[in-house]
Amino acid sequence: MKNALILAGLLVITSLAVFGQGYPTQPADALVFPVGVAGTVYEDMELGVRGGTITIANIEDPKGWNDMTAHETSTTYFTQRQHRGLVNLDHISGAIVPDLAKSWEISDDSLVITFHLREGLKWSDGEPITADDVVFTYNDLLLNLDVDTNGRDGQLLPDDTYPVCEKVDTYTVKFTMSVIFRPALNSLSFSILPKHKLAQYVHKLNPEVPVGTFNEAWTLDTPLTELVGNGPYIVTDYQPNVSVTMTRNPYYYGYDPAGTQLPYYDTHISAIVTNQDVSMLKFRNGETDVYALRPEDIAILLPEGASKGFHVLITDQPGYGTTWFLINQDVGLAEGVDNEKREVYRNVKFREAMAHCIDKETMIQNVLNGLGGPQWSPVSVPSPFYAGRDYYGGPITENNAVIFEYDPAKAAGLLDEIGVIDADGDGYRDLPSGAPLAMEINTNDNTTRVASCLILVDDWQAVGLNVTFQVVDFNTLVDRLFGSSGDLIYLGLTGGDEPNSGANVYNSCGSLHAYRYSACDEPDEIDTRVDELLGIGANTFDLDEAFAAYVEYQQLLSAQLGYIYTVVQSFQYAYYDYVGNAFKASPTSTPGGNNGLLMELCFDKRLL
Amino acid sequence: MLTYILRRTLYMLPLLLVVSLISFTLIKIMPGDYLTSARLNPQVTEETLQAQIERFGLDRSFIVQYGLWLKNIIRYGDFGTSFDTKMPVYRALFLGNKLQWTVFIAFSTLVLSYLFAIPIGIYSATHQYKPSDHIVTFLGFLGLSIPNFFFALVLLWILVVIFKVGDHGLTVGGVMDLHFYGEAMSWSKFTNILWHLWPVWVVIGTSNMAGLIRLMRGNLLDTLSLPYVKTARAKGLTERVVIYKHAVRNAVNPLVTILGLTLPGLVSGSVVVAIVLNLPTVGRSYFAALQRQDEPVIMAGLLFFSLFLLIGNVLADFLLAWVDPRIRYD
Repeated sequence: MKNALILAGLLVITSLAVFGQGYPTQPADALVFPVGVAGTVYEDMELGVRGGTITIANIEDPKGWNDMTAHETSTTYFTQRQHRGLVNLDHISGAIVPDLAKSWEISDDSLVITFHLREGLKWSDGEPITADDVVFTYNDLLLNLDVDTNGRDGQLLPDDTYPVCEKVDTYTVKFTMSVIFRPALNSLSFSILPKHKLAQYVHKLNPEVPVGTFNEAWTLDTPLTELVGNGPYIVTDYQPNVSVTMTRNPYYYGYDPAGTQLPYYDTHISAIVTNQDVSMLKFRNGETDVYALRPEDIAILLPEGASKGFHVLITDQPGYGTTWFLINQDVGLAEGVDNEKREVYRNVKFREAMAHCIDKETMIQNVLNGLGGPQWSPVSVPSPFYAGRDYYGGPITENNAVIFEYDPAKAAGLLDEIGVIDADGDGYRDLPSGAPLAMEINTNDNTTRVASCLILVDDWQAVGLNVTFQVVDFNTLVDRLFGSSGDLIYLGLTGGDEPNSGANVYNSCGSLHAYRYSACDEPDEIDTRVDELLGIGANTFDLDEAFAAYVEYQQLLSAQLGYIYTVVQSFQYAYYDYVGNAFKASPTSTPGGNNGLLMELCFDKRLL
Repeated sequence: MLTYILRRTLYMLPLLLVVSLISFTLIKIMPGDYLTSARLNPQVTEETLQAQIERFGLDRSFIVQYGLWLKNIIRYGDFGTSFDTKMPVYRALFLGNKLQWTVFIAFSTLVLSYLFAIPIGIYSATHQYKPSDHIVTFLGFLGLSIPNFFFALVLLWILVVIFKVGDHGLTVGGVMDLHFYGEAMSWSKFTNILWHLWPVWVVIGTSNMAGLIRLMRGNLLDTLSLPYVKTARAKGLTERVVIYKHAVRNAVNPLVTILGLTLPGLVSGSVVVAIVLNLPTVGRSYFAALQRQDEPVIMAGLLFFSLFLLIGNVLADFLLAWVDPRIRYD
């Protein structure tokens, strides 16, 4: 730790030389986090002091420093600490909150959103941040087809157009939409990039550079002094396969109520540790300050915490991810085979029988070491739209999704009812025609998924279903997911607060509507209604109306059993006691998580 | 000798061509491609995926892709750009000091394992079936049979949990403490590097050494039973001269020959150890490329490892000529 402090000191001196001195006084338009303010979600947090270094472990090297072309979290972990957007999702409160924009207005027809930027702010190199940077980022990068970015898809409106971005004045921009689309506000949280540094790489602004030059801008071999941002930290050192060091941005506009500029930590080091076991050892050795643990780590870390001075936070809150299996209702369709099997798979009673065989309690105990819960709805549990709430953003009170309790007898009854019985006396149920019904469930080489599949197979076999299990390579699994040759597939997807972000999964023509792609051409009543509800939920700024639509959406999908949800791991986190405010860690907000807000508010208590 | 090396290098070219073709074929046979995981992202549309497929040239036929790859190397010396990092592949593989650390770790481990293996092998052979031979043999088998990654993990666990090195401010894994990177060499940096490297040498070195000890022991035992050794003894030479001057010099030849295979083995075979021990090596970048199916980097990595094979073989030839005067390359 002494070495880390020396390093921090050196980096601060270096960074002052590179960045400049920062704001002489707190800007009038600073973003103030209500730390310790009663009545806010930050009220139980402490005011901290600046200084020190926080070290965490990241599993992979970043792939570059360009937020626009970043495709995965190992990169956005750094770029989104370096760049902030107009708005941000406050993962502590779950609300869309002002960031670079101090406020916004939505026009009466809900088609125009006008953002007012904070005035007098600067990039980390001292250049002013203005509306030109926002317009550049949106029009010249995000919507520029030469730029290789996944962010463009997030801007797409339901009528396949994009919001039109225009500068109103130096500190005002407006986005005009052709249709009402509430999730657009979430999408407008994209990171704003500095025009004065990056315009030179964009062919449409600088024809001297070839098309696509921007995609190769700010790669890992770019001199780090070139990087300029508006976020709390700027990358100042990168040792491939070893570590990334970020140093505070002297022009970051976040402050606490006492007028202390954030972030509290001067330096944030990410050690690249690919192996999770080693990552845990490094935490136990005091090399990292926080650690997102696995269920199997609990038994080791809990007894050690008191003597080593760290705390293990165990919650019953799950994260955004979802875990499911699907029954391929288009099996053999492309090949023109397995017609009867397909008919059985398409029978909702068959899927109900399969769902009644899921012993979620055993899965939670045996696979997640008791640290998890059942999942029923396609919407992530932390989402304010989760059907288990009574109203938008309310506490989780009951489960409104359709639940299929573990009931093998009921499953057997349903199978008998649809004629899936053991016709030849071999101990396995057959198709109604008497032909054997053999199924295979596949997953990839993931210990949690493999263990879950083994429990499922046991329970299905107990009711006479001939299901076997095979682990396949991840890419093979994805190929099967998109093809029609697979039977049953066990996988997981990322989730989020806004159900519409999963439109690609549940819309009948979505590219991830993997349980029945044919629904695009032959939608049934439920498919049609789900498509409608996705639209209703997104096309209103009235959150109660959106909530009502999404509750019905969740009820329909959980009853339809396209993706059949299983269990979800709850959140556990370990941190050394000297990391102030780390207790506020939650599945949606961790000091080491991809959202940087909590990291900005963590501090070193030893400096108090 | 120079002609020989030149000839060997030229022979390597068609071999590299065949290696590259086989590698390219294997990569293409593998299910999925670089964009497979993007297909599972609910927020990525089909249009974006299609644009990326075209950008990376993944929509072209296998032959066209291979032909273009080869043409760019021959005409422009361009080995391609990493899909993942958007950097030229050599930067993606060697960024930072990865090449230097790879070469240093491979060579230092090689030297250390030979330095230890040869005397231990000689000792073991000259003390055949004695308790000390059994102990060395047992340790040899142990070294051969413990998977390196597991050994590495156990070693780190012992340091952290049993010896509690963290309480003394010592870190584990990597090649030095984070704050020493970028600093000029000093005594404290040097000792810190040694502290971090000894587990590397132990883990990679012992498994390599185990095989070498067995080989040295077996060769020396064979040699010791040859008539010329009996003649030497009959001439009244001391046992020391018989063993070290006559027997060992012949017994050591196969060890020198397999040095050519050992060197690339140390580079590519220690990938998993590099992951566990957090070593900044080329193998780790190569492994990451394999996982993400970053084809240009995989191809460049394979050529790099083939190059190491060539270097290893040439090195072995040099050493063989040095230890055995009968061998000449003209």
